Amino acid sequence: MLAYLARRFLFALFLVFAVSSASLLLVRMAPGDYATESLGITARAATMEQTRRLYGLDRSFAQQYGHWLARAAHFDFGRSMAYDRPVADLIPERAANTAILAVTALFAATALGIPLGIITGSRRTGLLPAVIRTVSITLLSMPPLLTSLFLVFFAARTGWLPLGGMGGGAADVTGGALVDLVRHLIVPAAALAMPLAAMFERLQSQAMAETIGQPFVLAATARGVPRLRVVWRGALKAALRPVTSIYGLVVGTLLSGSFAVEMITSWPGLGRLMLDALRARDVYLVAGCAAAGSVFLAAGTLLSDAALAFVDPRAAE
Amino acid sequence: MRTEPASFNRLTRRDASTELVSILTQAKLVRVNRATQEIEPWLATSWTRSADGLRYTMKLRPNVAFSDGQPFTADDVVFSFAAAYDERSASVLSDSLQVNGKKLTVAAVDPLTVIVTFPAPFGPGVRILDNLPIFPKHKLQSALDAGTLAKAWTLETPPAELAGLGPFVLSDYVPGQRLVFIKNPHYFMKDAAGASLPYLDRITAQIIPDQNAEMLALASGQIDLTSDAMRPEDYAPLRRAKNAGRLQLLDLGVGYDADSLWFNLKPNAFAADPRASWIQRDELRRAISMAVDRKHFADTVFLGAGAPVFGPETPANREWFSADVPQTPYDPAGAKALIESIAPGQTVRFTLLTQKGRSSLERGSAVIRDELQKIGVIVDVVPLDGNALIQRFVSGAAYDAIYFRAAATDTDPALTPDFWFSFGSAHMWDIAEPMPATPWEGQIDALMAKQIASADLAERKRLFAEVQKIFAEHQPAIYFAAPRVFVAASTRVTNLVPALIRPHLLWAPDRIAVAAGAPRATH
Amino acid sequence: MMGRRIGIVLVALWCVGALGAASFAPHTASDHFDGLLNAPPTLPHVRDEAGAWHAPFIYRWRLVDQLEQRYQEDRTTGVPLRWLRGGHVVEGNDQAGSPLLLLGADGFGRDVFSRLLFGARTSLTLSIAAAFGAMMLGGAIGGIAGYAGGLTDDLLMRASDFIIVLPAMYVALALRSILPLVLEPRIVFVLLAIIFAVVGAPFISRGVRAIVRSEGRLEYAVAAASLGAGHWRVLGRHLLPATRGFIAVEMTMLIPAFIVAEATLSYVGLGFPEPIASWGTMLRDASDVRAFADFPWLLSPAAAMFVLVLGLNLIVQDRRPEDWH
Repeated sequence: MLAYLARRFLFALFLVFAVSSASLLLVRMAPGDYATESLGITARAATMEQTRRLYGLDRSFAQQYGHWLARAAHFDFGRSMAYDRPVADLIPERAANTAILAVTALFAATALGIPLGIITGSRRTGLLPAVIRTVSITLLSMPPLLTSLFLVFFAARTGWLPLGGMGGGAADVTGGALVDLVRHLIVPAAALAMPLAAMFERLQSQAMAETIGQPFVLAATARGVPRLRVVWRGALKAALRPVTSIYGLVVGTLLSGSFAVEMITSWPGLGRLMLDALRARDVYLVAGCAAAGSVFLAAGTLLSDAALAFVDPRAAE
Repeated sequence: MRTEPASFNRLTRRDASTELVSILTQAKLVRVNRATQEIEPWLATSWTRSADGLRYTMKLRPNVAFSDGQPFTADDVVFSFAAAYDERSASVLSDSLQVNGKKLTVAAVDPLTVIVTFPAPFGPGVRILDNLPIFPKHKLQSALDAGTLAKAWTLETPPAELAGLGPFVLSDYVPGQRLVFIKNPHYFMKDAAGASLPYLDRITAQIIPDQNAEMLALASGQIDLTSDAMRPEDYAPLRRAKNAGRLQLLDLGVGYDADSLWFNLKPNAFAADPRASWIQRDELRRAISMAVDRKHFADTVFLGAGAPVFGPETPANREWFSADVPQTPYDPAGAKALIESIAPGQTVRFTLLTQKGRSSLERGSAVIRDELQKIGVIVDVVPLDGNALIQRFVSGAAYDAIYFRAAATDTDPALTPDFWFSFGSAHMWDIAEPMPATPWEGQIDALMAKQIASADLAERKRLFAEVQKIFAEHQPAIYFAAPRVFVAASTRVTNLVPALIRPHLLWAPDRIAVAAGAPRATH
Repeated sequence: MMGRRIGIVLVALWCVGALGAASFAPHTASDHFDGLLNAPPTLPHVRDEAGAWHAPFIYRWRLVDQLEQRYQEDRTTGVPLRWLRGGHVVEGNDQAGSPLLLLGADGFGRDVFSRLLFGARTSLTLSIAAAFGAMMLGGAIGGIAGYAGGLTDDLLMRASDFIIVLPAMYVALALRSILPLVLEPRIVFVLLAIIFAVVGAPFISRGVRAIVRSEGRLEYAVAAASLGAGHWRVLGRHLLPATRGFIAVEMTMLIPAFIVAEATLSYVGLGFPEPIASWGTMLRDASDVRAFADFPWLLSPAAAMFVLVLGLNLIVQDRRPEDWH
C-alpha cells in the first residue's frame, strides 16, 4: 500500500514537472510575447527591445527554462509580468476562489445528478424519467458560455441576484460577508453545476440500467426481494463504478477552473487566470497555472481511485 | 473596468486600467480638456514663453499637498521628469515626452517655479505636459536612486504608500474584483463657487471582463458608468433601460478614429513575388477606396451609426480636420478600370490580416472583401489572434495588407509624430524608414517638421491641411467609416462632461456628482 | 425498441439534412443580405389578410430602426415561394429583397437555416469522427491498462492524466503558429479531429479501465483465461463488450462537447475559414445578450444539437429491465 502511494506521489511530481515544462515551451512557441502584448502595435523597436531585456524575454528558451528550474527548486516560481506580483502569491489566491466555486458546484451536481440518474436508470417509463432525461440532454447540448450568459441575463432581468464578482462590495451588505458570498455564488455555481449534474445523471442512468439488467438482480427479484431494496442495496454499489472512475477527473478539472463561467460572472478564479496568462504570454504565470492544474488533477485521480476501491472491492489492488 | 490594472506605477504601464487609476489619483501640470481640446492650467497656474520659443517658465499652484499631506513643490516636478526619463526603468512615458527624439530639460527656480526647456521649437508647447503625471519625490526618490523605479508601486503596494495629487485616493484593492477610491481630502481644485472638489465621496471600480456582463450590469443598475463607449449592438437593450428611466444615453457624434486598411509598402517586400508590379501601387489603393460604398459600410458595420471618412482625420477633430481634402468618389466601374490598367489580365488577389474578436474589424473586413469581389479583386481575410498579429507586424514578417485600428491619443497631430513621420514607429505601412521611401513621404516629413516647430496656430493648420492633401492623394492607409460614439450612464449620475476620447466620462472625475439621496457611485 | 427507432429517425434527419444541404437550403452558408441583419424568421402563410387561400407565401421584412435592428412585416404583398428552382427545393425571391429566412438571419445577414444545414456537415462529421477516434484510442488504452494492471496501468493512466491537464488552448495556439497563414479546410479538419480524439480519450479510458479491471476478476473471465484463451481474446471478446454501455453514453456527451470545442479553438485561429459554417461557431457568434432578449432564432444550433443528442441517447439507451422477461 505504501509503495503504491509512494509511486503515485512520484508520478504526480513528475506530472507537475512535465506539464509546467511543456507549458513554458508552448507559450514560447506561440507568436508574440509579453512585450508585444503590452506595448501594442505602435511601439518603437527600441522600446520593445528595452522591455524585452527588462523582463528577460530576449533569452533563449534553454536559458529561460534553466533559470526557472533553478528558482523553482527553491519554491520561487517567478513573477507574473502582467500582474507584477509573485506567481506563488497570485495562484493560491485565485485557486482558493475557484475552489469555493468548485466545491459548491460539485456538491450541488452530485446531490442532484446521481439520485436523478438512479431514478431514470431504474425506471425507463414514466413522465418523471422522461422529463429528467430531456433536461439533461438540453443542458449537455448547450455550451457553457451560453448557459452562463443565460443565467446572468436571467439574474439581470429578475434583479434578485448580483451579476458577478465575489461579493463584499461597498458597505450596504446586510447579513454579513458570508451571506454576500453565497448570493454571489449562486449564479456561477449554477452555471457550473447544471451541465455537470446532467453528465452525472446520464452516466449514472446508464450504469444503473445496466446493473439492473444483470442476472443477480433478476435472481433477487425472483426470490421476492422488494424492488426498491434490490436497487438501493445491491445494484447501487456496482452502478456507482463509472461515475466514480471519472469523479476525480471532474474534481481536478473543476478546480482548474472553467474559463467561460468565470469570465461571464466575473469570478476571479484560476480558469480565467490561465487563459489571461496565455493571452498575455505571461510565461511564468502560465507555467504556474499549468502546475497548479496538474496538482489538482493528480489529487483528483488519486481520490477517484481510492473511491473506486471503496465502491468496488473487486477492483482494489 | 475590463481588466485589472497591470500596476499602480504609471511610469511602467500604459494599459487602459492603469491609465484610469492614474487619472483618478494623479494630477498633471496642465490638463487637456477632453471635451473642448483646450489646455487648462492645472498644477501650473500660468506660464510664459521665452522669445525663442524654447523655454517656458511655469508658475506652480501654491499650498498644494499630496494625499498624504506632504507639500507639493517644484522638486516633485523635476523628480517626475527624471523618473520618466530614467534609462534603467525604461518608462513608457519617456517617448511621449520627447521632441524630435530629444528629451526636455526642467529646472526648479524656486519652490513654485519651474523652467521647462525644449530641445527644438515645439508648436503645441506645454500641451505635451498632459502626458506626465506628477509623482511624489518623497516616496519614490530612493527607488530612483537605486534604479528600482520599475519595481516600485506594484499591485502589492499598500494603498497608503500611493501618494498622489489627484481627486481620489485608492483605499482598497481586492485582487481580481475591484478597486475602491475615496475622496482625497487634500485635493487642490475647487469649483466655481469655492466648494472643494470632488463632489463624489467614493468610486468603486468593478473588474468585469466580459462586455455582455458589463452591459447587463449597466442596464440593470448594478454599475453606474462604464469606461468604454457602447457597441452598436448594445444600443437596443440600453435604450430600453433608458425608456424605463434607469439610464441616460449620450450621443457624442462621430468619433475621432476609424479602422484603417494599409498595405505593406516596405520597399522590396515583394521582391520575389509576381504581384510586385501592382501590389504596392497608389492606383491599387485608390481603386480599393473607390470600390467600397462607404455609406453601405457604415450601415453594415456600425448599423447606421457611423459616417464615411476618407482619411486619418475625421470631421470630429474640429481643430485640425481639413474639409478641402479631396474625397474619393464611390465609383466601382472606375475602380475596375484602374485595376485593369495596372494589372492587365491578371487576377488581383491578396491576403488581409485582421484581429480576431473585434467585431468592427471582422465585419469591416467582410464588407471590404465583398465589395472588392464585385470588381473582381479577391481578398483572403485571415483573422488572427491579437498577439499573433502584432508579432507578425513588428517583427517585420511578410504580410500583404492589414486591417486594424490604432486609437488616437491626442487630436493635435504634433503629438502623434510616430504616425506621420516616415521614421516613426507608428508609420504603419512602412515602419521606421531610415529614409523616406517615396518623394511624397519626404514631403510630408518636411511639412510635419515645420508644423511642429511653428508657434503660429493658423500656419500650423495650413501646413497640416497640406499634409492631409498629400495623404489623400496617395492613401497609404485607407479609411472607410468612423462610428458614432454612444455612452450610457445611470440616471443617478449628474454633471457629466462627455468627451470623444477615452475615458469618455471619467476624464474629469472631480466634477461628477450623484443626484441627492443616492448613496454611492460605482463604475 | 420504440425509443430506439425514434432516435435513429432523429439522427438520420440531420444526416440527410447535412448531405442534402445544397438542395434543402435556400441559400449558401455565405449568402448575405446586408439590409436584413438579424432579421426575424419569415414564416410561411397560406391565408392572406383578407382570408383568401394561396399557395404558401411569405411577407417581406421592412427595416424600421437600423440601430435597434427592428423589422416590420410588409403585409401589403405576399411573396410566393418558388419550388424546385435552381437546385433548391424551395426558396423565396432573393432579387426582390424577400429571401426565405426560415430561421431568420444572423448578425451578418446570413440565412440561419441554410447555415444550420451546411453547418451540420462540418459539425457532425468532425464530432462523430473525433468521437470514434476517442473511442478507439480510449478503449484501447483503458482496456490494456485495466487488464494488464501494475506498471503498464500506471504509465498509461498517468500519460492520459498529462493529456487532460495540458490546456488544449496552449497546444492549439502553438500549433497554429507553426502552420501556414491560410489553412485549407481539410487540414483543419484532420487536425481538429486528432486533437479532439486525443483530448477526449482519457475520459473514456478511465471508465473502461475501471470496468475491465473489475470484470477481469469475474469467474467467466478467469475461466476463459484458464481455458487457454489468449490475452487479446479475453480482452476483446469478453471484457471490452462490458464497456459498451459506458462508451456509448460517453460518446453521446463527447459529441456535443466537440461541436462546442471547435468554436473555442477557432478563437485561437485553429478553426474553419470562411465561408464554412459550423454549429459551434454559430453559437459562439450568438453568445450575446441580445440573442436571448431579441433574436432567439440565433440559438437554433443549440436546439439542433438537442435534437441530435436526444436521438443519440435514445439509440444507446440500454434494454429495459422488463425486456429480460
